[in-house]
Amino acid sequence: MSIELLIQAALNGFGLAVVYILVALGLTLIFSILDIINFAHGEFYMLGGFVTYYAFAVFGVNYFMTLVLAVLVVGAAGVLAERVVFRHLRGKTLNAFIVSLGLLWVLQASAQLSFGVLDKSVPSAVSGIVRVFGLIMSRERLVVIVTASALMAALYVFLKFARTGQAMRAVAQDPDAAALQGVNIEAVLALGFGVGCALAGAAGALLAPVFAVSPTMGALPVVKAFIIIIVGGMGSLPGAVLGGLLLGAVEGIGTLFMTSAAVNMLGFLIVIAILLVRPRGLFGVA
Amino acid sequence: MSRRPGLSPALGFGLLAVAGVAVPVLTRDSYYLDVATAMLMNLVLTLSLRFEMSTGQLNMAHISFMGIGAYASALLVTRAGWSFWASLVAAPLVAALVAVPVGRIALRVSGPYYFLITFAFLEVLRLFFNNSFVDYLGGPSGLVEIPRPHPLPLSGGAIAFTGKLPQYWLMYALFLVAAAVLIRLEYSRFGLVASAIRQRDLLAETLGVDVIRYKLGVFVLGSFFAGVAGVFFAHSHQVLHSSDFGLEPMVLLVVFTVIGGAQSVWGPVVGTLVLSVTSELLRELHHYEILVYGAVLMVVMLVFPEGLVSLPGRITRALDRRRGSKARAVGARVAP
Amino acid sequence: MITRRSTAILVVLTFALAVVGTGPAPAAEKTLAIGLLGPLSGGAASYGVELQRGAEMRSDEINKAGGLKVGGDVYKIKLVAYDHKAQAADAATATNKLVFQDKVKYIIGNAVGATCNAAQTITEPNKVMFGFVCWGTANLAPEKPYSFRSMLSQWELAEPFYRWVKENHPKVKRVAVISPNDTSGKDTNTAVVKALKGLAFEVTADEYYERGTKDFYPVLTKLLAQKPDMIDVAAAPAGEAGLILKQAMELGFKGAKGWTAGTNPFTIVGVAGREAAEGVWSPANINVKSEHVSGAVRKFGEGYEKRYGEVPGVIAVANYAAFDVFTQAMQRAGSVETDRVLEVLTKERFETVWGPLVIGGKETYGIDRQFLYPLVISEVRGGEIVDLAQVLPAALKKK
Repeated sequence: MSIELLIQAALNGFGLAVVYILVALGLTLIFSILDIINFAHGEFYMLGGFVTYYAFAVFGVNYFMTLVLAVLVVGAAGVLAERVVFRHLRGKTLNAFIVSLGLLWVLQASAQLSFGVLDKSVPSAVSGIVRVFGLIMSRERLVVIVTASALMAALYVFLKFARTGQAMRAVAQDPDAAALQGVNIEAVLALGFGVGCALAGAAGALLAPVFAVSPTMGALPVVKAFIIIIVGGMGSLPGAVLGGLLLGAVEGIGTLFMTSAAVNMLGFLIVIAILLVRPRGLFGVA
Repeated sequence: MSRRPGLSPALGFGLLAVAGVAVPVLTRDSYYLDVATAMLMNLVLTLSLRFEMSTGQLNMAHISFMGIGAYASALLVTRAGWSFWASLVAAPLVAALVAVPVGRIALRVSGPYYFLITFAFLEVLRLFFNNSFVDYLGGPSGLVEIPRPHPLPLSGGAIAFTGKLPQYWLMYALFLVAAAVLIRLEYSRFGLVASAIRQRDLLAETLGVDVIRYKLGVFVLGSFFAGVAGVFFAHSHQVLHSSDFGLEPMVLLVVFTVIGGAQSVWGPVVGTLVLSVTSELLRELHHYEILVYGAVLMVVMLVFPEGLVSLPGRITRALDRRRGSKARAVGARVAP
Repeated sequence: MITRRSTAILVVLTFALAVVGTGPAPAAEKTLAIGLLGPLSGGAASYGVELQRGAEMRSDEINKAGGLKVGGDVYKIKLVAYDHKAQAADAATATNKLVFQDKVKYIIGNAVGATCNAAQTITEPNKVMFGFVCWGTANLAPEKPYSFRSMLSQWELAEPFYRWVKENHPKVKRVAVISPNDTSGKDTNTAVVKALKGLAFEVTADEYYERGTKDFYPVLTKLLAQKPDMIDVAAAPAGEAGLILKQAMELGFKGAKGWTAGTNPFTIVGVAGREAAEGVWSPANINVKSEHVSGAVRKFGEGYEKRYGEVPGVIAVANYAAFDVFTQAMQRAGSVETDRVLEVLTKERFETVWGPLVIGGKETYGIDRQFLYPLVISEVRGGEIVDLAQVLPAALKKK
C-alpha cells in the first residue's frame, strides 16, 4: 500500500465530499434559521440537476450560465416552498417533517412523470485529466471542487458581511431579539430557505455532468448530508465542513481496505462513536 | 387538571376488539384478510411508536427493533429448533435487551438530536442486517424459508397456521394484548407522568420524577412490542430482507402516527386505518399514486396540525360555535 | 376537544371502510389477467420498464389479432403491472395483490433477485406460473416447479463468453469483476469467477458496490492498483456500468472491458461517453438493428422504437419472447390451467423471436426451467453495437 495510493484515495474522497458539504450546508442553514428538518432537501438537489440537463444538455446554454440559472431557479423554488407550505408550520417540527416528506414524494413523482425513470446523461463541460506528482484528477472534478469551494467561500462572506446574511444569523440565534432590532423576519425566513435550497441546487448542477441525472438522484446525497450534520452538529456551518471532510476521508481511504458495505457501516459506527462523546455533534449548538 | 376528554379507554378498546372480530365474519377473501392482518400489525407498531412519542421523543429506529425481533425469532426457530411459541416470547425480549444500551445512548439528547441519533442507529442496523453474518442473516439475498408458526396443540386437535384465517386470528390476539397494555398505561398515572415529561422535562424532574428511568422504560417497552410485530412478520412473510426494516417503512410508520395524531392514543388507530385504505385505493393510479399520496399528506398535515383524530372535535366545536353565538348574545345582557 | 361519541363513530367507520375500501375483485369474463412485477422506478428501472414494454408489445399483438384462442375459448389479455422499486417487502405486497386480488395465474416478468425470492413464497404454493429474468441462482430449483427464467443468466453466459475472450484475445489474462452488492450481483460474480478460474484466468478482484453508488473512484482506485487487463462490470445496470467505465478511463485504465450482464449497450454509451464505452464486450445483449439478428427481432425493434421512442435492450426482447412462449404453451395445452401448461413447457420446443427455443438447465439447477437460445457476443464500436459471434449455450447444444 503506497503513500501515493493513500493520497489518491483521500483525494477521491475529498473530491466528492466537497459537493456533499454544499448539500449539508443548505440543510443545516435551513435548520438553524427555521428549525425545520427538510426531508425533501434531496429533491432540490435533483431540481438543480434537471435544470442543468435541460439548459445545458438539451438547449445548449453555456455551462457556467447554467450553474447560475440552476442556483436562481432552485433558490426561487425554495422561497416558494417556504411561503406556501412551511410558513404555516413554524414551531411544529414534527409536522414540518411529515410535510417535507409529502413534498419529497410530490416532487419526485412529478419528476418521474415528466422526465421518465431512466438516467439521462449530461455531457461533460470539460474533459481530460490532470496529473500532479502521479496523482490523477479528472478536469471535470477539478472544476467541481473549485466551484464548490468558491460557493462555500461566497456563503461565508455573505453570512458574515452582507446585511441579509447577518440578519439570517441573528434570526438563527434569537428570532425575538432580531425582530426587536427591526429585522424583517418573514423575509429572512423565506430567503433563508431559498438560500439553503439554492446550495443543494448548485450541488446537483455541479454533479449532473459527472453522474447523470435521474428523478431519484437526490436520495443518496441527502442521506450523506444527514450524516455530515449529525457529525458536525446541527446548525453549525463549520461543523458541516469538517464533518464532510471527515466523511470523505473515511470513504475514500476505507474503500482501499474493505468492501463498500463495510465502509458504509464503518462510517455510521464512527458517527455513533462521536455522538457518544459529543451527543450534539462536533460543533453542535446546545 | 380535568379528566382528559376523549373516548373512554374501555369503550375504545371494546370497539377495536369488536371490529377486529367483524372482519373475518364480513369476508373470507384471502386478499382482504391479508390487508386486515397487515393493518393489525401496523397498529401494534404505530401504537408502540406513539407510546414512545408520548414522552416527546421520535424514535427513528423503532422499526429496527421489529427487525431484531424478526431475525431473532427466525434464527431461534430455524437454527436452534425452538418452537414458534417459545420464540414469540423470547425474541421480543432480545429486542428489549438491545433497546437498553441503545436507549441509554440515544436518550442523552432530545428533540432533533434524538431524531438524528436514532436515525443513525436505524441505518447501522439496516446495514448490519444486510451485510453481516450473511450465513445466518441471509445478506443481500435475504433470509428465506422461515416456517409458519407451529401448530398450536389444543384439546381435541391442533390449530395449524398455514391459512390466512388462523394467521389473522394470531395477529388479532397479539394486537389485543399490545393494545390493552398500551391503552391501559396511557390512561393510568404512567400516562400522566409521560405527558408531563413531554411538556416539561425539568418540571417533571422537580416533582420527583426520574425522567431518564421513565424514558428508558418507555423506550424498552415500545421496542418489546415492535419485536412482537417482528416475530409475526417473520413467520407470516417467511422471507426477511434488510430493506423491510429500513428508512422507507419506518417513515411510513411515522406518517401513520402523526397524521392520525400523536397526542392521542387513538391517533395511530385512525392514521393507520385511513392511510392504509388510501394507499390501497391509490394503487390503482399506478404512476400517480405517490404524487397524490404526497399531496394528501401535505394537505392533511396543514389542515389538521393535531392529526385526523382532532377532526370530530373540530366539527363539534364549529357546530357549538354556531349554537353558542346565540347563548353568548343572551349572556351578554346579564351583568356579572 | 375530542368527544367520546364522535371518536367512536370515526374509529368504527374507518375500520369498516378499511375492510371494504379496497374494492370488489374484477368480474371473471373471458379476460385473462396476466401479472407483471418490476422495478419500474429507482436505479434498476431500466429493467422493469423494458420488461413491461416487451410484455405490452406481445399482449397488444395478440389482442389485435382477435385475442388468445385456447381450447374452445377466446381470451382478451389484460396486463396488470406493479412497481416494487427493487424492494423485497414491496414485491411481496404486490405479488399478494396480483395473486389474491387480481387473481392472476401467470406472472410474466420480474427482475432483481431478492424480489423474486419474496414473490416466490406466494407464487409457488398457489401454483402461479412465474417467469422472470432474476439472476439469483436459487430462484430456479426443483422445489419451485412453477418458476422459469426467461433470459440467459450468468450461468449460461459466463463460460461461453470467456471462452470466446480466451480464444480471440489471448493477451487478456487478469480480470477484475465488479457488481452491485445484492443477490443478483453476488450470484453473477460467483458464476463469472467460476468460469474465469475454469479457463485459467487470474481473478484480480471480486468486488461489490452498494446499489445507487455513483462515485466509483474509491473502489476503482483499489481495483486498478492490481493492474487488471480487463474489467467486467458484470451485473451492474446500465447507468452504473457506464459510470464505472467512464471513471475507470479517467483514472487511466486502458484495458479491455466486459459487461457479462450487459443488457442494453445503447444506454451505456450515453452514460459513459463514446470513448469510455468503446470496445465493451457483452454476451448478454442484442443489437436489434444489426444484420446478424433475425428479421423477427429487427421488426420487433422497429415497432418498439416507434412506440416508445427508445431502442429496446435484450430484456424487452426476452419478455416479449417469454410472453409468446407461455401463450403458445397455453394454446398447445388447450387450457390456461397452470399444471397442464407446465407439462407442455417442459417437453416441447418453441419458435420464438430468438429462433428455436428450448427449456433446459437441469445440470445447473436440478430442474429444467431455464429458457435456452443462442447468444450473441457483441462489441461497442464507435457508439454502435457490432455483433461478433453467435454461440450456443452448452445446454442448448445437447438438445
